[in-house]
Amino acid sequence: MYTRRAFLKSSGLGLFGIGLIGGIPAFVAEAVAREKNNPLYSKRKVIVCIFQRGAMDGLMAVSPFEDPYFREARPTLFMDAAKSGSGNNLIDLDGRFGLHPGMKAFETVFREKRLAIVHGIGSPNTTRSHFDAQDYMESGTPFRKNTTSGWLNRAVGLLGHDNVTTPFSAVSLTPSLPRSLYGDQAALAINDLKNFKIQGRGEILNQNAKTFEDLYDKTKNDLLRDTGKESFEAMKMLQRNLVKSYKPANNAVYPNSSLGNSLKQIAQLVKMDVGLEVAFTESNGWDTHFNQGKDTGIFARNVGDLSKSIMAFWTDIEAYQDDVLVMTMTEFGRTVHQNGTNGTDHGRASCNFILGNHVDGGKVHGAVDMLAKENLEDGRDLRVTTDFRAVFSEVATSHLKLKDNKMLFPDWDGKGIGVMKG
Amino acid sequence: MATFSLYFTYGQKKAERFPYKQGGLSKEQAAIHLLSRFTYGYNSNDVRDVQKEGLEKWFFKQLRAGQGDEKLELLLEPYADVLMDNQSIVQKYPRGPRVRRMMINEGFIPKDSVDNRSKFYKAAYKKYMEEKGYRPEGELFRKFIATKVLRAAFSANQLQEVMTDFWFNHFNVSFTKPQSAPYIPSYENHVIRPYALGKFENLLLATAKSPAMLFYLDNASSTVERPKSKNKKGINENYARELMELHTLGVDGGYTQKDVSEAARIFTGWTVYPMNGYGNSNILKNMTATNNKVKNQNIVDGDFIFVANRHDKGRKVVLGQQFNNNGYNEGADLISYLSSRPQTARFICKKIAIRFVNDKPDEALVNKMADTFLKSGGDMKKVLTVMVSSPEFWDKRNMYDKVKTPFELAISTVRALDGQIENPNRLVNWVTRMGEKKYYYVAPTGFPDQSGYWINTGSLLNRMNFGLASISNKASGVDIDLLELTNHREPESAEEALEVFARLLLPSTDIAVLKSRLSPLLTAQNLRQKIEKSSGGTFYEKTDKKENLMAKGKKSNNAMLAQVVGLIIGSPEFQRR
Repeated sequence: MYTRRAFLKSSGLGLFGIGLIGGIPAFVAEAVAREKNNPLYSKRKVIVCIFQRGAMDGLMAVSPFEDPYFREARPTLFMDAAKSGSGNNLIDLDGRFGLHPGMKAFETVFREKRLAIVHGIGSPNTTRSHFDAQDYMESGTPFRKNTTSGWLNRAVGLLGHDNVTTPFSAVSLTPSLPRSLYGDQAALAINDLKNFKIQGRGEILNQNAKTFEDLYDKTKNDLLRDTGKESFEAMKMLQRNLVKSYKPANNAVYPNSSLGNSLKQIAQLVKMDVGLEVAFTESNGWDTHFNQGKDTGIFARNVGDLSKSIMAFWTDIEAYQDDVLVMTMTEFGRTVHQNGTNGTDHGRASCNFILGNHVDGGKVHGAVDMLAKENLEDGRDLRVTTDFRAVFSEVATSHLKLKDNKMLFPDWDGKGIGVMKG
Repeated sequence: MATFSLYFTYGQKKAERFPYKQGGLSKEQAAIHLLSRFTYGYNSNDVRDVQKEGLEKWFFKQLRAGQGDEKLELLLEPYADVLMDNQSIVQKYPRGPRVRRMMINEGFIPKDSVDNRSKFYKAAYKKYMEEKGYRPEGELFRKFIATKVLRAAFSANQLQEVMTDFWFNHFNVSFTKPQSAPYIPSYENHVIRPYALGKFENLLLATAKSPAMLFYLDNASSTVERPKSKNKKGINENYARELMELHTLGVDGGYTQKDVSEAARIFTGWTVYPMNGYGNSNILKNMTATNNKVKNQNIVDGDFIFVANRHDKGRKVVLGQQFNNNGYNEGADLISYLSSRPQTARFICKKIAIRFVNDKPDEALVNKMADTFLKSGGDMKKVLTVMVSSPEFWDKRNMYDKVKTPFELAISTVRALDGQIENPNRLVNWVTRMGEKKYYYVAPTGFPDQSGYWINTGSLLNRMNFGLASISNKASGVDIDLLELTNHREPESAEEALEVFARLLLPSTDIAVLKSRLSPLLTAQNLRQKIEKSSGGTFYEKTDKKENLMAKGKKSNNAMLAQVVGLIIGSPEFQRR
């Protein structure tokens, strides 16, 4: 089998090196890229996680529109599934829950049973601080702050194939590494794939890259020498495969947003077969205390961007859909009652979305009681009925085919909720 | 112990020599090692000066941290706000949500028009801030980080800055937690730095009582459980746990969950004195409402307040020690007790050895340091002195064994090249890009102090890019006069430039080896033309091109020097210390 060193050596010999690819016309290289590029890494399973920072109002995203208590709690925010007056109505999913009209893009995959929703999901820790709740969700240990690693980094470790490493196994499309990816396994934070190279212009650029490569290759310090080799391999791998003006497949159109842009780059990594297994990115602006709006406004814009970005990604990577799964997460939900400024405050449970061919989709999983006061947590919030670890653990274990998932969430030994098929 | 008195009466008696020869180092190498461990960077001139002054004399001067810092103070003047007390800071730099509340309360905007993304709101917000003389919170953070850069680069008291960095990371707090963020400048300036070379217990107590820590680890909201109370507030264990696991005993320090819970009860009532609408102003209301007996037990100390009626008055046992209804003193006693535990001494001393010796320090050395820690009551000056007086410190294998953090790389570049920092935040951007977002590390563990954490595929290319960018003011915010560094004797070839600057930046490196490794570059055809042609590129001043036309020769040589120096800064040798 390949070892880490073997990977480096073989790439040095030209398997991935510029020597070979450089001799082939670009269009030929691109044509064979899909099958032949990096056979070591093709057909790896990929999990894409999107953190919705700020706490999404799960009750507005997926509304229990038949619940009279809910209608009453949200006099100016409530929407109906039936046509009523002006504006768009909810998309009726199952006679009980309605999808926000801004997420119309999700309807088809939901009907095709490839999109699952888990409602009433949240953390056992009742903190309503964004910071703490995000920290707990990303470390995966809701009662321990000092966990050094993030759950997605541990997932990479549990993949158990450290005999074939790739620098692109875990990539975050964010300016700095998220808490979810802190840990022992190498993880990359890249804001823009185009910048992953020795920068500069003109003829001297190649000279500089070559000089640095030589310097690192010959240094005595093992860490710097080995990482240097990996860095230059990774750079070449990426720059060789990175298409200058990327055209998404199947006429997919990404929103011109931060999330859309990140997912477009994740799609490129998926198609490059560089060994991506865990991808992370985030979506901001969910802390809707003021005028969150109904079918238009802040919330509608946010869910529109979220669903359209995800669906553009899904369309773009159609050829890879069997191997790719997308999961959203948010630190907590928002109050059942609207506040005095047509918004909602920090609450407890929210909902999340899981998209993939092996997902038990077309359903709203989890348990949501009638929103009568006695059913609410602390008399105000949607109760957490599903521990986020039950879902994250099931999804990651099933999709990434982890054999032993005990360390994924070390304080958790509960069961999954059947959101994945089989 | 006799040796200590010798060291500490230095000046009257002759100090003992550091045992660097036992470790296999020459005096020059020892000077390099000393500078690499206790400063943010150096060049061959500093190495020469330290040898001249005497290694021991230099070290004890650094340990006293009393050198005049006029140059630094001048540079810090534009950032004077950063040194204000917390009260003034939250007054001048209010947080967004608070501004919103004030605007509504004062009728500046109607209550129902507060979509904070609307143009109307943004314009009103700006106007309100201007009228009141308030500044955005982000500006405070940027200013503060700028002062961090300036202090590291230019303070004459380098060891104090290095230790301040060490302790901040040990007692980490983070800008990512909004409640804690405004208090972080004062935390570093008024809590950490003054105690950085003092006694551990004083430092620990100061952090425990600081708003930054009280908010960061939630102790500010921790109160005695009141089963009958409507709001379910109660005990929060976060601080008590990290106090033992991260601040003192270490994870294997032999405490139990029960100890954590009991310690959390001891710290109930330790909170932040409300200031300018921040913090829980009900605390003061409740205080005046209670009877005098309780009131007299309240303790106010600067930003800290111990609120007696939030304190759990029951009996507690932590690590076998009993703490009986003794108000504030229970917590102070526990901190004192934890500070004097052998586990704490070992845990802290190992961390110091990792910072200053190598990633896997010798057990015997750690034990020696821990002994001194216990005997001296956690006196950092004595612990560091024992460390640097040990042959283990000077082991040849330790030389260049540590990898510079991105911050250290950036600052050591400035110091080695005698740069002037014109735009500290531009330099900070590079540090972030290289993988160290200073003051934004989320977890209370602080950044790991291990080479493997800093050197990875994502960060390494950026270190090389930083090297190439560093000599351009436009790219790095640092003004460097390369010609000045050569005493205005322009190197005539790339090879000569390499020799001159390698001597300056990498004083003990074998220049012949470096030259041979760089020979493909040095002998490249038309090197100078290539560099000149490229110098209009990303990392070079736009004006260079124009000036090239005006003063041919001089500037093009400059571009070549920049090229060579950039490669040295980005080289593996310069990544180590």
